[in-house]
Amino acid sequence: MGDVHEVPRPRIATAQVAQHIGQPVCFVGRVEKIHPSGKLFVLSDGEGKHTTVELNEPLDEEISGVLEVVGRVTNQATIMCMSYVQFREDKSPFDLELYNEALKIIHEFPEYFPFG
Amino acid sequence: GGYTQSPGGFGSPAGTQAEKKQRIRSQNIVPCTVSQLLAAEQVDETFRIHDVEISQVTIMGIIRHAEKAPTNILYKVDDMTAAPMDVRQWVDTDEAGGENVVVPPGTYVKVAGHLRSFQSKKSLVAFKIMPLENMNEFTTHILEIVNAHMILRKNLMSASRVPQSFSSAGIGDVGGYGGGGSLPMNGLTAHQSQVLNLIKNCPVPEGMSLQELKLQLHNMSMSTIKQAVEFLSSEGHIYSTVDDDHYKSTDAE
Repeated sequence: MGDVHEVPRPRIATAQVAQHIGQPVCFVGRVEKIHPSGKLFVLSDGEGKHTTVELNEPLDEEISGVLEVVGRVTNQATIMCMSYVQFREDKSPFDLELYNEALKIIHEFPEYFPFG
Repeated sequence: GGYTQSPGGFGSPAGTQAEKKQRIRSQNIVPCTVSQLLAAEQVDETFRIHDVEISQVTIMGIIRHAEKAPTNILYKVDDMTAAPMDVRQWVDTDEAGGENVVVPPGTYVKVAGHLRSFQSKKSLVAFKIMPLENMNEFTTHILEIVNAHMILRKNLMSASRVPQSFSSAGIGDVGGYGGGGSLPMNGLTAHQSQVLNLIKNCPVPEGMSLQELKLQLHNMSMSTIKQAVEFLSSEGHIYSTVDDDHYKSTDAE
């Protein structure tokens, strides 16, 4: 899985990607498009802003809905994905806008929600 | 020489009144991040976050690893705030299967358990591990963590700042911030806190009367005062003395 899973990975939205160049992050977003090569896809966050996610190996499955990506931000402000998980929405849809609001809270109060 | 053990088992010769006030035990299950648990300070058998004792906690994260042993299942639960935390769930060896199915890696779970430390390594002993069926619970958990820790911190700050005496002018000021009068401090609203503090600081043996409270709290109606008194009494903060109009604090100075 790689060492990026052993360190703190701040939860961020598209607006904070550029501030985390070179750093491990956790990004949650909805799948918007997938490149035909399967090595690149685009997620939208709770504010509808897009972030590009890259993979070392092409996808070996269909992805859709809300994904939580763990990876490192590249110099081009994309995320190099080390692992991802699909949020289950079989029982209830995931409120991505509310998640974005929660991110604003934890960014405003890092003393009560510390990363690391 | 010697010193007496207090019933609470404090036993410390340095247990001044101020120190005693600062030791607030959290009676509830506190939602936490793994990073907060790792940073919790250990003093003897207890753990503290923001100087509040914690014991039972909940975390939410994704299972990265699961290992079944004869007497327990060891999970590694990852909430992104730090490295995954060891969570141990004891297996009931008498039960045939059923109860203790291993939750597969890649599943988001809510864990309720006790914080433990062994050879400086922290872990959780879980009494409940539940897969999340609705991921919105995860968003709620994030908000609950911030809320809970903010309140715990504020309770600690207010407990150490309670002044020993109020002037009437001071009451007006305190009442002023009652715009956010519903923000609970020590689990009490601003009105309840004001009433309690007056009763606490009353030196008279029969305690404080409702009439006295009304005189001192110009901005509160008698019915508000009575409601506060009823609440404080039912919670055990105060008790009636010579009659139902006079009250003393159970936490006497």
